[in-house]
This record gives sequence, C-alpha cells and structure tokens, in this order.
Amino acid sequence: MIKWIRWSGLAGFVVVVALIAALWLLALGPLMKMAVEKYGSEAVGAQVNVEDISLGFNPLSLTVTGVQVADKNAPMENVVSFDTAVATLEAFPLLLGHIIVPDVTLSGVALGTQRSFSGELVVEEQEEEESKEETASTDEGSSNNSDSDSETAEASEGDILPSSDEILARENLLTTQYGKDLEDSYKQHKQTIDTALANIPNEDALKNYETELNNILKGKFKNLEDFKQRKKEFDALNAKFKQDKLAIAELTKAVKESKTDLNQKWSKLKDAPAQDFANLKGKYKLDGAGATNLAALLFGDDVGGYAKTALEYYEIVSPLLSDDEAKAEMQELKDKRLEGRLVHFKSDNPLPEFWIKTLSFTMQLPELEQDTGSVGEVAVKVQDITNQQDVINAPMRLLATGENLKNMDSLKITGVMDHRKPPSKDSFDLNLQGWQLTNVKLGLVGLKLVSSKASVTAKAVFTKGEMDVVGNGLFKQAKFDTKDTTFVAKEMNAALKNVNQFTVSTSANGELKSPNVSLRSDLDKQLNSAFNKRLKQKQAELEDDLKEKINEQLLAYGGDYTEQLKQLNLTEGSLKEKSKELEKLAKSEISTYEAQLKAEADAEKARAKAKVDAEKARMKADADAKEAEEKAKIDAEKARAKAKLKAEEERKKKELEEKAKAKLKGLFG
Amino acid sequence: MFNFVGKFFKLLNGDASPGQIALGFSFALFIGLTPFFSLHNLIIFFFVFAIRVNLGAFFLGSAVFALLAFGIDPLSIKVGEYLLNNPDLLSMWTELYQSDVWRAFKFNHTLLLGSVVISILLFIPMLIISRFIVSTYRVRIMKWFEKLKISKMLKASKFYKYYERLGE
Repeated sequence: MIKWIRWSGLAGFVVVVALIAALWLLALGPLMKMAVEKYGSEAVGAQVNVEDISLGFNPLSLTVTGVQVADKNAPMENVVSFDTAVATLEAFPLLLGHIIVPDVTLSGVALGTQRSFSGELVVEEQEEEESKEETASTDEGSSNNSDSDSETAEASEGDILPSSDEILARENLLTTQYGKDLEDSYKQHKQTIDTALANIPNEDALKNYETELNNILKGKFKNLEDFKQRKKEFDALNAKFKQDKLAIAELTKAVKESKTDLNQKWSKLKDAPAQDFANLKGKYKLDGAGATNLAALLFGDDVGGYAKTALEYYEIVSPLLSDDEAKAEMQELKDKRLEGRLVHFKSDNPLPEFWIKTLSFTMQLPELEQDTGSVGEVAVKVQDITNQQDVINAPMRLLATGENLKNMDSLKITGVMDHRKPPSKDSFDLNLQGWQLTNVKLGLVGLKLVSSKASVTAKAVFTKGEMDVVGNGLFKQAKFDTKDTTFVAKEMNAALKNVNQFTVSTSANGELKSPNVSLRSDLDKQLNSAFNKRLKQKQAELEDDLKEKINEQLLAYGGDYTEQLKQLNLTEGSLKEKSKELEKLAKSEISTYEAQLKAEADAEKARAKAKVDAEKARMKADADAKEAEEKAKIDAEKARAKAKLKAEEERKKKELEEKAKAKLKGLFG
Repeated sequence: MFNFVGKFFKLLNGDASPGQIALGFSFALFIGLTPFFSLHNLIIFFFVFAIRVNLGAFFLGSAVFALLAFGIDPLSIKVGEYLLNNPDLLSMWTELYQSDVWRAFKFNHTLLLGSVVISILLFIPMLIISRFIVSTYRVRIMKWFEKLKISKMLKASKFYKYYERLGE
C-alpha cells in the first residue's frame, strides 16, 4: 500500500498549498484594504480611506485601523471616522468568499471630523476626457447649460435656510405693494387739492367781504329807494360770495375724498404685514428641503442640520441593505442555465455574501454649538448588517442607548430596517427624556432658548421611498432671551417671558426627497395670545401715530396753503353769519313799512265794526221790549183761563156732592 | 495540437504502468468536467500528488475533459437541477446545507453537483476502459507499429527527433 504513496508528490502538494495559503494571507490585508477603499468609495460617492487591515489567527479576526469616510458634499470633512475596528471572522464561509463577521467592535468613532486632505473622488482621466468631449459637443448650448448649472448651484445653495432679511428681500411683499399704492394715491390727491386751492379767495379778498358788508348795513334806510339800492349791492356781494363758497366746497370735497381714499389704503397697508407674515409662514413651511427648513426656522441651523444629516445618513445606508445588483446577477444566472445556479435550502445557519452579526461602538453625542462641554456618549449596537436580508431572513436592528449623559436623563433610539422582501420598511423610534437645553439659538430675531428641560418622542417609518414621521416634544421650564434691540425682538421677548412650557409636534409624510411637513406648537398659541396683546397695543399707538403723521403729511403736502385752508374754514363761518344778519336786517325794514299800512286798515276796520255793533245793540233792545209786552199779555190770558177752569171744577165738585148726598138719603131714607 | 498528440504518444509508449495512466485519466475527469476553482478539486489534487498517479495522463486528461465539458455542461446542470430539486433528497440536502463544511464545497450548485456526479459515475468506467486501452495499445498496436519499415525510417529521421523533443 505504501508503495502507492508518492512521498515527493505529497510533500510538494503540502508545500505548494502552504505557500499559496501564506501568500493569500499576506495579500489578504492589502487586498481587503483596496477592496474596502474602492467599493466603499463607489458606494458613498466620496473617498473611503483605510490606514491598515491586518489578519489575526487565534481566533480568526480582522483589525481595521484609521478609517475615514469623507463627506461627498464637504470633502474636507468626514461623515464618519473611527480609530480601530476589530472583527472576528468565520473561517469556512471565508473559503467560499462569504464574509461572516460574528462581532465587530469599533473604537474612537466620531462624526464630522476634519480631514487633512480632500475626500473628493478622483475622476479617471478617461472619464474626464469623455466629459470634456461631451462638453465640447454641447458647446453651442453651453450658455443655457451654464445658466441651468448656476441655477442648480443656486438651488443647492438654496437648501441652506435663508435669513429673515433674505426672505424679505426676495419676496414681493404686500406691505411694499400697498405702501407704494398709498404713496401714488397721495401724490395724485395732492395734485387735485393744489388745483382746488388755486381757485379759493385769498386773505385780502376775504377781508373785503366784511368791509363791503359793513358799508351796506351801516345807518338806517332813508326810504324805500335807499333800501332797494342797498339790497342790490348786497345781492351782488352775495353772488360773489356764493362763488367763493363753491370753490371752498370743492376744496372741502377734494380733501374729504382724499382722506377717505387714503384711509382705505392705509387700512389695507395696516393689514398687509399680517398677511405677509401668514404668506411667508405658509411658503417657508418645509417644502423642498423637507423637514429641515421649519426645524431650522424655529430651532436654528444646528437642529435643522441634524435632521438633514440624519436623512443623508439614511439615504446612504438604505440602498446598501438591499443587494439589487446581487439579485439582478442571480436573475441573470437563472437565465443563463449553462453556468448553473446555487439552490438554497432552509437553514439555521444562513450564509449571505456579507454579514456582520453584531456591530457595537460608543461615540460622543454631537454637541450643540452653544453648549459647553460634552453632552455624553451613546452606546450603539447594530445587529444583522447585510446586503442579503432575505438570506438570513432577519431585518437589521439598531439600538442606541445614552451613557454618562450630562444634560439628559435618558436617551434611547431603536430601529428596524427590513429589506427582506419588497417593499422594504424601515422604522425608527426615539425616546429622549429630561434633556436640559441651554442657550439654543432659535434663529429668529436673535432669540435664544436660555434654558429648558425637554422630552422628545418620535417615530419614523420609511417605505416605498416615502416617509411617515411623527414627533412630539415637551419643553418645560422654558426661559427665553434676546440681545436684539429691534421692536419685534423686544416684544417677542416680552411675550415669551410668560411662557413656561410648550409643546412641539411635527409630522412629515410623502416622498423622501420632498415630504409634506407640518409643525404645530402650542407655543404659537401662547405667543400669539401674549404677543398679539402687546402687539395690538403697540399697533394702536403706531396706527395713531402713523395716522397723525400721514394726516400731517397730507396737510403738509399743501405747503403754504395749510394755514390758508384753516383761514378759509374760519372765513366760511364768518361769511355765513354775516349773510344771515344782512338778510335779517333787510327783512326788518320791509316789515316796518308794511306794519304802518296794516295799522291804518285796522283802525278803519275797527270803526266800522263799532258802528255795526251799536246798531246791533239798539235793534236788540227793541226786540227785547216787544217780546216782554207779548209775554205779559200771554200770562194774563193764561191766568184768566186758569181761574175759569178752577171755578168750573168747583161747580162740578158741588154737583157731585149733592148727587152723592141725594143717593144716601135714598138708601137710608 | 502537436504538443498534445506528442505527449499522448510518448505517454502511451513510455514505461508508466497502465493502471497509473488510467488513474490519471480518471482523476482528470473531476478537474476537467467540474468547475476548476472548487474545494473538491483540492482533494483531487491531493490524491493525484500523493498517490502514484501518472501526472502526464492526469494533466493531459484534464485538458481534454475541460474541452469536452463545454458539451457536457448542459447535461451536468440538468443532473444537478434534478438532484437538488428532487423532493426525496430534500431532507438530505437541507441537512448538508446546515454545515459550513459542506457548503464550502458548494454542493448546492447545480453545475458543480451535476458534473461531480457524472465524474464519479464515469470514474470507474474510465479507469477500466483507459487501462484496457493502454494495455492493448502497448501489447498489440505499439509492437506492430514498431515492426513497420516506415516506423523504423521515421525513428531514424530528424522529424522523429523533433517529435521526441516535443514529447519531453
């Protein structure tokens, strides 16, 4: 049997295999370094630099040192960097080209560190030449392209939230529009008033009215002719006066119309700032750049920046979790039956191409600019990082817990990124309790949240390229302050003095790149209430002041005619009185003459009446005497008739008594 | 091509035992018909180097079978598909799949499994047939060929010397 063994061959085999293994192990570190830098750079769109990768054998492990992942938008900064990563490896899967890492521990993890050299990807010369050719071929339309490029550049710059001054400068405000309208109207009315002013009498003319009127009324009317003469002069003066009165009336009308029109326009102008504010609030309400804008508007660039950075990280990580390329290759393999395919079976020990079972590290929490010192650390544990979740049949899980927290009671972030089957679903939960905020810029009129204790809970779900985020924050023991000396800053600060606690609720849904974001806060209500009260008071003062000034300005536009206008008003009153007096006097003279004629007629009438009355009295006396005589005769006749009637009644009575006595006698007799 | 033919005849005409030559051709089935960069081929190489297998026959056979593999691959894939998708064998494959070692052999690859199975099936027949051919050639054809005048003339010519150099 031994004679069948070829010892030299056996030794040669062992030597060759050992040599290959040694070479492989020696080359593995540099090869992996190259692979990580090449494919990592392609994945993140910026340089990924690795200082060294070395292999350990007991247990099989990999130590990666000095890793820097550049920020493609800021090549002199790192998105993330760490000093050392120690990863244990499973040996057999490695023979198959599968990198299975049971555990990775990172140390010295930091975000946003400065780089000593640019992290921009170096474009291949060939690609550069191609791009140059493309540029040359489209040279004719280059002006348009450059315009669009500059627009794109502007658009990207536009992601940075503009300041309030920039917003006011770029927006067509109603306040400006109505203000200009008011100014134009004022000029127009001034012209009309100036024309009307030119037609009214001057001061000398007004004095003449009085002199002439006094001359007319001086002394008594000598006779009717004198009266008529004066009346004629008065009528002429009155006609002239009426003409001047008409001119004054026209001027009054012009001034009145101007006041009405300017008042209306002033009213619109007065409401314009509120409308502008509402419009701007609606317009700059988290569109385009997503959740970052409103957050930045309310809570300054810092917090807005964090939201933006978080979304950027998500956009980088998310595509890496679903191995679309591998799936496409798999499909291609299925189509090319000649190359065969791998058939997978149910397994308790799945074997994807790349799998980090547990990644853990501790990192410093990012500090707010205003804070002094470290906020604390966060211990991050990520499970099941792979580009083939369908193979391991488990989603990636994230757990971040705050440690050694200085200004927080607790911090917990959990996340599940499930890309096992389409549509993928990624969800994150944030729970932050007792966060002591100090000197947080609010990005508005220099306002700062000097101190507050915040509790924040948030839930974010990303699926089918869309997001659904809901967040709630409760800010207790809030104290605000500003160093700005503007009116708005002072008033805002005064209003905020009464705010002790407030809530902020935010929601964002829709497409990942352009979500519909809303942010509600009872701070708005509280501020509105307090601020409106102060503002109304100040606004009323301001309105009165402005009205007065505008009226003054309106009159001032009349220049030297202002006093004359006042004089005109006085003169108008004086003329009216004199006119009334004149008419009264005239009426008085006429009535004296007529009274005289009437007195004579009355005397004649009285005399005639007395005569008639005397005749009437005599006639009446005669009638009365006659009537008395007739009455006496009638009475005498009546007395005689009455006596005769009585005598007859006595006679009949006696006859009846005798008859009665005769009958009695007949009965007893 | 001349190189191949020269080597082949030198091998046949050499003093290597027919059994070693046949074993070389049989092992060559695995290297030629199955995907080269596979773990099982490391084992094949181990046997080829450790056992007195004729290396000439092995490398020659590997080259020949690698050419034949282009035609055999569809059959290998069909065999692999059939075996891996056979419900009766599912439990076995699933059990093997749980092991990192077996998966390192990529047994669940249709082409690999099919071609390995075909190689195993052909191993013994190849061993017997090739041994028979070599023995028969040496006993009958080689001796007959050497007795021919033309053969003697060729052996004496410069062409034959050149041919011999090619075969070395």
